[in-house]
Amino acid sequence: MKRRFCFWLIVLLCISIADLSRAETTLEKIDKSGTLIIGTRTGSPPFAYVNKNNEWVGFSIDLVEKAILPVLNKKLNKQIKLEKKESAPQTRIPLLQSNAVDLIAETMTDTQSRRDNVDFSLTFFVTGAQFLVKKGGAIKGIQTIAGKRIAAQQGSTNAKIIRERVPSAKLLEFPDQPAAFQALAQGQVQAYTNDGIQLAGLKAKAPKPDDWAGVGEFFSYEPYGIAMRKNDSDFRQAVNVGLMDALASNLYFEIYDKWFGPKGEVPYPLLPETKRFLQMQVVPK
Amino acid sequence: MNYQLNWSILWSGQTGGWLLNGLLTTLEISSLAWLLALTLGNVAGALRTAPIPPFRWLASAYVEFFRNVPLLVWMFFWYFGMPPLLPQALQDWLLDHGAEFWAGVCALGVYHGARFSEVIRSGIQSIPKTQFEAAHSTGLTVWQTYRLIIVPIALRLIIPPATNETLNLIKNSSVALTIGVAELTFQTRQIETYTAKAFEALAAGTVVYLVLCLAISTLMAVVERRVAIPGMIAQGNASEF
Amino acid sequence: MDFQVIFNNFRFLILQGFFGFGTFAGGTLRLALPAIVLGFILGTFIGLARLARSRWIHWPARIYVEFFRGVPLVMVIFWFWFIIPALTGKSLPEYAVALTAFVIFEAAYLAEIVRAGIQSVPRGQIEAATATGLSRAQLMRHVVLPQALRNMIPALVTQFIVLLKDTSLASIIGYVDLTKAAQIVNNREIRPFELYLFIALIYWLCSYSMSRYTRRWENRLSPSPS
Repeated sequence: MKRRFCFWLIVLLCISIADLSRAETTLEKIDKSGTLIIGTRTGSPPFAYVNKNNEWVGFSIDLVEKAILPVLNKKLNKQIKLEKKESAPQTRIPLLQSNAVDLIAETMTDTQSRRDNVDFSLTFFVTGAQFLVKKGGAIKGIQTIAGKRIAAQQGSTNAKIIRERVPSAKLLEFPDQPAAFQALAQGQVQAYTNDGIQLAGLKAKAPKPDDWAGVGEFFSYEPYGIAMRKNDSDFRQAVNVGLMDALASNLYFEIYDKWFGPKGEVPYPLLPETKRFLQMQVVPK
Repeated sequence: MNYQLNWSILWSGQTGGWLLNGLLTTLEISSLAWLLALTLGNVAGALRTAPIPPFRWLASAYVEFFRNVPLLVWMFFWYFGMPPLLPQALQDWLLDHGAEFWAGVCALGVYHGARFSEVIRSGIQSIPKTQFEAAHSTGLTVWQTYRLIIVPIALRLIIPPATNETLNLIKNSSVALTIGVAELTFQTRQIETYTAKAFEALAAGTVVYLVLCLAISTLMAVVERRVAIPGMIAQGNASEF
Repeated sequence: MDFQVIFNNFRFLILQGFFGFGTFAGGTLRLALPAIVLGFILGTFIGLARLARSRWIHWPARIYVEFFRGVPLVMVIFWFWFIIPALTGKSLPEYAVALTAFVIFEAAYLAEIVRAGIQSVPRGQIEAATATGLSRAQLMRHVVLPQALRNMIPALVTQFIVLLKDTSLASIIGYVDLTKAAQIVNNREIRPFELYLFIALIYWLCSYSMSRYTRRWENRLSPSPS
């Protein structure tokens, strides 16, 4: 019985090695399966979350569905289905590298060290880290946090920057926003740092929004991008064309308005300079 | 898989130090929680077999209440629910001295104490009633019977299941990362954040846990053999029949 | 405290989170029940292998048990999630990955329960059965296993209670169990106290009723020591 087991194990290994050597591009994979599999979040409103009707929606998901999917449909000449899988900070890069998903569309900041491992699309959203504090608190920005207790989100780039710039601040890292917010509400920490847009979303959702204030200049630059497997330029081109078309037409701004406009989930006006930056990423046809 | 493994990230820069720090925190939180769990478990386990009904009820209530609610919920309870009930001075002191760590110790210790007590109870119950009667007839009080006869025998009987629980406790200590304790799993995620090398970081975490747990189970197997009462407990692996 | 959030999301929490009916791969019971049954079947083989005479059989079984007892379940799930697509080029659905990981992990624990159960069968029984001329397989099937099973029931139920709560670890791959469902709602509504209190109550009711039930079993089955 054992010998037979060994035999099958070897067969399995051979198959898998054979499989590894025949690298398939992402476009071929999508063409074959007819599905684009994306990794996204369930708990990052309004970028990707589960809404009151239990639908998995959000700004990042809309961008993929309305801007990128049509490009793939045209390129492969068939209707491509969209499938969503959950990604978390510690699983998103492995998800890509193991072929489990084709792209990551959530709130992933494009960084140089991440670019060593994955490729990024154009920047589709720009924000920066700030602090959420009780209104009238002592903390006004990164200059005033020395020696203070600060909450941050695990796996975020903000915690890394605080640790480097203000080593005397006592950092407490929580895996999700509600826990960090609870710590802030109870005074376990004096401020909670995250990307400005995330804090705006949190403040809008809080039981008493007026008790909280987002303070400080952006102390980091957080350009969100769509992550893809490395060295697959045809697929990256398709994704970028989708984003560029959306930025050049009005589509991107319609989607933006749906989520961040005055009536959106989290009102967050688009700054003129951000709009210019986003549009200047579009290269001529 | 078009992926280049790069193991050197595990010892270059700060990552090695983080892993070590994480391991130390895991060891600290686990050993403190383990002591608490063993104490609570012993008391509750013994009380549950005691001949005095109110003691039994009290111990049962403790076990049923704590064992049946997920550890994650207990973490939140001890970290967010407990401090407001403490005096202000103590709260301030705790906040400056790692409140999350102590909340983690309490959550793990009290939760696993309830699970330990089940192990101890079944250990005590597997001791023949004649032992109680013999102790009683030599004139020992109930307290003395427990202290001198029952608990020492039960402790030896329960070494294998208690080892299991100890390993579970160590592995469960990673739940403390939900309240921000920077233990081993937390640190492997941190490495991922800094280097974007998830496979290597997770492999390192898996191996460290595995080595730690294997070391403990080997140690406990040695202890089991050393303290075995001849003729009472099956020696070694009673595998032949 | 405002329990409106529970009422508004009751269907999502219970149907999707606890039972697993809904748009997401999920369900505490849907994972825990098959995992304990399949894990028990695999665990029985491994437990028997650990008691085998041949070193070539009992050592691999022992290594299996020690290995899985030594790694956190969440890491096992994680590795399955990534190794399967890396080897086969195809990704399996979340449910299949979670179930495989749980069965393989739980089998290690259940194997120990099976072994302890078998070892608790009095030696005289085995000797008597051998004397009547039963083969080793017959002896196992007709004499040892039925008695062992009875001794194992309390430990099995305890393990099931643990498993019921551990399904939340599968949330790392996006499996929506009761805990994860509460976290999803919490991320949207920021109501940690109400939600965690609610799931604590659900888990408590399930576990408590089960442990009450086994206590009765135990009392009925255990030979009175006096």
